[in-house]
Amino acid sequence: MTPRSRVAAAVAAATAVIAALAACAPEAPGSGSNAGTGGQAVADPTLTIATTTDVVNFNPLVGNSRSDYWITNLMYPHLLSIGADGQKAPELAEKWGYVNSTTGFYELKPGMKWSDGKPLTAKDVAYTLNAVKKDAPAGTLYGQLTNFASATAVSDTRVEIKLSKPDASLIPEIGFWGNVVPQHVFEPAGSVASFANDGKNGGWVSAGPYVLKTVQRGQSYTMERVDNYPLVPGGKPKAAKVVYRVYPDVNAEILSLKNGDVDAIANTLPPAQVKNLKSSPGITVEEVPGLGYAHLTYNMTKPALAKKEVRLALAQTVDYNAIRKVVLQDQAVSTGSSPIMPVLKTFYDDSLKEYEYNPDAARMLLEQAGYVADGNGKFPLTFRMIYSLQDPVTTQWANLVKDGAAKAGVTIQLQGLERNTYLAKTNAGDFDIYAGNFAIMDDPATNMALTYLPKGAINYSYVDDPQLNALIEKARVTFDQKEQVPILQQAAKLVHDNVYDNVMYTQNLFVAHRSEWSGFSVKPSELLSIVNPVSVASATKTAK
Amino acid sequence: MNMAVESAVTPPAPRAGWLTWRRFRREPLGLAALIVLALLVLIAAAAPLLAGYPSGYGDAVLAPPSGDHWFGTDSLGLDVFAEVVWGARQSLLVAAAASLIAIVLGTLLAVLGAYFRTLDTVISVIVDLTLSLPVLPLMILVAALAGPSTLTIIFVIAAFSWPEVTRVVRSQALAIVRLPYVDAARLMTSSPFWIIRRHVIPAVVPLILVSVVLTSSRAVLSAAGLAFLGLGDPNTWSWGRILYEAQQAGAMSTAWWLPLFPSLAIFLLVLASTLLSTAYNDARNPRRNG
Amino acid sequence: MSLFSFVLRRIGRGVLTLWFAVTVTFLMLRLLPGDPALAIASTNMTPEIRARLLNQYGLDQSLPVQYVKYLGRLVQGNLGISFSQNISVTDSLMEMLPWTLLLVGVSLLVTILLGIPLGVVAASRAGGVVDRVVQVVAVTGQSLFVPSVGILLLYVFGLRLGLFPIGGAYTDGTYGGDWYLSVLTHLVLPAVSLVLVQLGAYVLTVRSTLIESLGEDYVVLARANGLPYRRVLWKHALRNALLPTTTLIGLQICLYLVGGVILIETVYAYPGIGRGIYDAVVRLDFPLLQGAFLLLAAVVVVVNMITDIVYGLLDPRVKAGS
Repeated sequence: MTPRSRVAAAVAAATAVIAALAACAPEAPGSGSNAGTGGQAVADPTLTIATTTDVVNFNPLVGNSRSDYWITNLMYPHLLSIGADGQKAPELAEKWGYVNSTTGFYELKPGMKWSDGKPLTAKDVAYTLNAVKKDAPAGTLYGQLTNFASATAVSDTRVEIKLSKPDASLIPEIGFWGNVVPQHVFEPAGSVASFANDGKNGGWVSAGPYVLKTVQRGQSYTMERVDNYPLVPGGKPKAAKVVYRVYPDVNAEILSLKNGDVDAIANTLPPAQVKNLKSSPGITVEEVPGLGYAHLTYNMTKPALAKKEVRLALAQTVDYNAIRKVVLQDQAVSTGSSPIMPVLKTFYDDSLKEYEYNPDAARMLLEQAGYVADGNGKFPLTFRMIYSLQDPVTTQWANLVKDGAAKAGVTIQLQGLERNTYLAKTNAGDFDIYAGNFAIMDDPATNMALTYLPKGAINYSYVDDPQLNALIEKARVTFDQKEQVPILQQAAKLVHDNVYDNVMYTQNLFVAHRSEWSGFSVKPSELLSIVNPVSVASATKTAK
Repeated sequence: MNMAVESAVTPPAPRAGWLTWRRFRREPLGLAALIVLALLVLIAAAAPLLAGYPSGYGDAVLAPPSGDHWFGTDSLGLDVFAEVVWGARQSLLVAAAASLIAIVLGTLLAVLGAYFRTLDTVISVIVDLTLSLPVLPLMILVAALAGPSTLTIIFVIAAFSWPEVTRVVRSQALAIVRLPYVDAARLMTSSPFWIIRRHVIPAVVPLILVSVVLTSSRAVLSAAGLAFLGLGDPNTWSWGRILYEAQQAGAMSTAWWLPLFPSLAIFLLVLASTLLSTAYNDARNPRRNG
Repeated sequence: MSLFSFVLRRIGRGVLTLWFAVTVTFLMLRLLPGDPALAIASTNMTPEIRARLLNQYGLDQSLPVQYVKYLGRLVQGNLGISFSQNISVTDSLMEMLPWTLLLVGVSLLVTILLGIPLGVVAASRAGGVVDRVVQVVAVTGQSLFVPSVGILLLYVFGLRLGLFPIGGAYTDGTYGGDWYLSVLTHLVLPAVSLVLVQLGAYVLTVRSTLIESLGEDYVVLARANGLPYRRVLWKHALRNALLPTTTLIGLQICLYLVGGVILIETVYAYPGIGRGIYDAVVRLDFPLLQGAFLLLAAVVVVVNMITDIVYGLLDPRVKAGS
């Protein structure tokens, strides 16, 4: 062979290898599908939804990323849904409540079926809850089961829950957070904590509006309609297919929405993009009420931060209005520095006022606390603030918090961290100030127990105030909401007045979809938004 | 005696340098590149004189370039021009520090390896092995685990850049060590380090110069890539951070000035560095145009 | 040296490379801070869940024990179970690898086919206008910041002109010929970006080595003997210049292609292994990372072997068995 023909041979071989790699076109399904007729409403359209993260886990009891939640939510129903004011609403359960202080119940909608034809009964619900309690999977639900003892299916449609001690929030909370999984699929797999549910053994089984059919990790998740979904009128979802597409970069994601490659974006829009998208032709922006809050917590195990004056002084160096106006583009509301947000109308106490932004007053407070500023007006106070770099909004206002504190002579060192290092440091209490947010804080009694009780899982201020503890414990065993409200408001006032937590705002979220799609039913929080099961099943497309 | 030996065995360095410079001056691309690089360094050094440090927030969010804001504003209303100017400092610092570490370490190992043949086998195996590691994924891994900070980034980039330097310098150093005048020097002194310092290092200096420029420019790209993936230092402005924040704000296609100017800065730096080193190589090589 | 012992040594080096990559990854993951249990579990994790997860992942054992167990499983071809996905690492990697190989392979091919002629043209007119233009064009490409260019290309060719789809590797729900077509259209923009970025290195290497070899005695001799310049250039000088280029291909694979695709796959939402590695880093998925790095090292070893063979084909001295 001459050198040139050798090179040519090498090139030809490489081409062949590449062609062979790609030689794996999927086969067309046997039945011919007849989609896309003209007319007004498009019959059996495909709804393509963009997300920025891949699905990690198809087991809803383990997964905790947003895409996991969105996709498994379309297959594994929750017992309860939630309204814009945080009040629970029926979903799989028609009725729920307490028989006595240590026994609760759910009454299921009758006639529900899994997509493989097996009936969905109270046994599936009881199995799910008991298995989660036993195997302790890493998902959110397990954290809600502290006072849960056991669940029993007393009939096909009624589940009874035994509590280990009275807890007024347990029934609504696990009803809202827990997905129901099919016992006949999950039980043979052993522990629910390590079951991948990746569809390898005969595909997925769904009791939601759609069932997952094909997965191309990093690209797309294709789901097909389940014909029997009683939670929408007519019992049949409108779109024949739902495809979740992964766009790791939000810029490319927005371009693909403008382009029409995707029909909707599931994740919240960056605040600065809302205006632009609202004025883009062919795109509709929907507002989703927020049900969570962003906050700063001061680590009270640190000597300086154990002093109330220092915490209050720090709280007075934060320019709350600027943060809401500039970083959040006025898409956020103040909570009056209270852990009970205005959206929780029944619980909200409007007599609590937001901490005033006043660096000079902060200086005076610090002087009262015995600190002396040096010649440059700087106090000998340096705090290290951690936040997650995967959270762009917090990353932006962290700089404003630092600049505000500098005005009062306090130094804040920013430590923006990769998500898992952030979680590790948070859990270890390795910070002076923590900045972060929670997506859903729907139930004040449960949330205060988690955030302010000494052993609370998200008690990042390490507060332990006997008076506050007593109030929270009392609220948890008060079953009548009318009696519960004043107790919780008292607790919130304690938190506010002692700066045990610095709740800054509730963010109202915006999501976007193509204007030819309509009929979405918006639910609060990014997790439900326009991609909750009922909303996805109700969406329709009109031809232009 | 030493004097005599030196004048006998040392290559006539000043004259060669002068010749190179004279040839280099005739190369317009090289000269232009040199000027661009000098300008960028100047901008970095004079940042406090050119713009105030960007902090806090501004009134006009995502405003396009105007008389007030030459490069427009970002999603906090901060002046992008100031960010680019101050970012030049951080970006050049990371590039310089990382390439310095890589060059010193890489050259040292290469020269030692070339001189002590027993070491060479070990060093060249390590170099080969390290060169076959996937660099960017490993950088991401280390930066994510160790926590993003300027020091981490400098260290990470240096740690994965030295083998390339060693590889390039080693071949040249090997050739030098075998030259007769080095053999002659071996007879004159028992200190290998004296020979290395006196003969081997000066002979590889041109290669090192080229390496410095190329390694720095690659470091700028790597640092920007890391920053873009969220692994930059959040406390100081760098070109990568401007790009990262533009990406996070979803503004890369709607506010073109946000990605444009830092990308342009990176582009100019890398382009000028590469052209400069090519022109320098050409000027050193008299066979050119032959 | 016989061919047999050459091949044997080559394989030995390949195995050593693999072991090195595996060990570096293993140690890095365990010695640097970061707790995989935390990255997976939600924020309200109890100490009991943490302990159980660490036990499930075998991370509660001592480092040497973990290492020996890991190598033992590796020898049996078992890459383990992904921490975060609870599925076999091999399955997870094999889902992503073909797409990266396709992207990298196609752009490598295009780069070589463009890079070598451009380098030759520049070298043969060294110092002239054409040379300068080629240099600037080549270097321009490698100086670009990939994500910015990516968004620009997507904006112009995806949104404005509507020529190419935005994101993904193929269109869902297409079959047969349409599917291949959709693979092709999805490939164009990412591949163009990758070609842009690495073209410069090839052009400049071919150019500089060619300039060197044009000054070599045998080329001068060939010209003196009256061989036409073009023939001397393309046949004799280029053949020599291709040797360092072959080495470069091997190096580039490691340096840019395998790792550099992370940024490209991120911007273009391409479902390849680069993005998979990034996700695995974020989730601290040790087995997946270990498997991915092993796989990348394996790709590098294979490419280096191919490079050696091509080197042998091109260079008669190597074939002679020196």
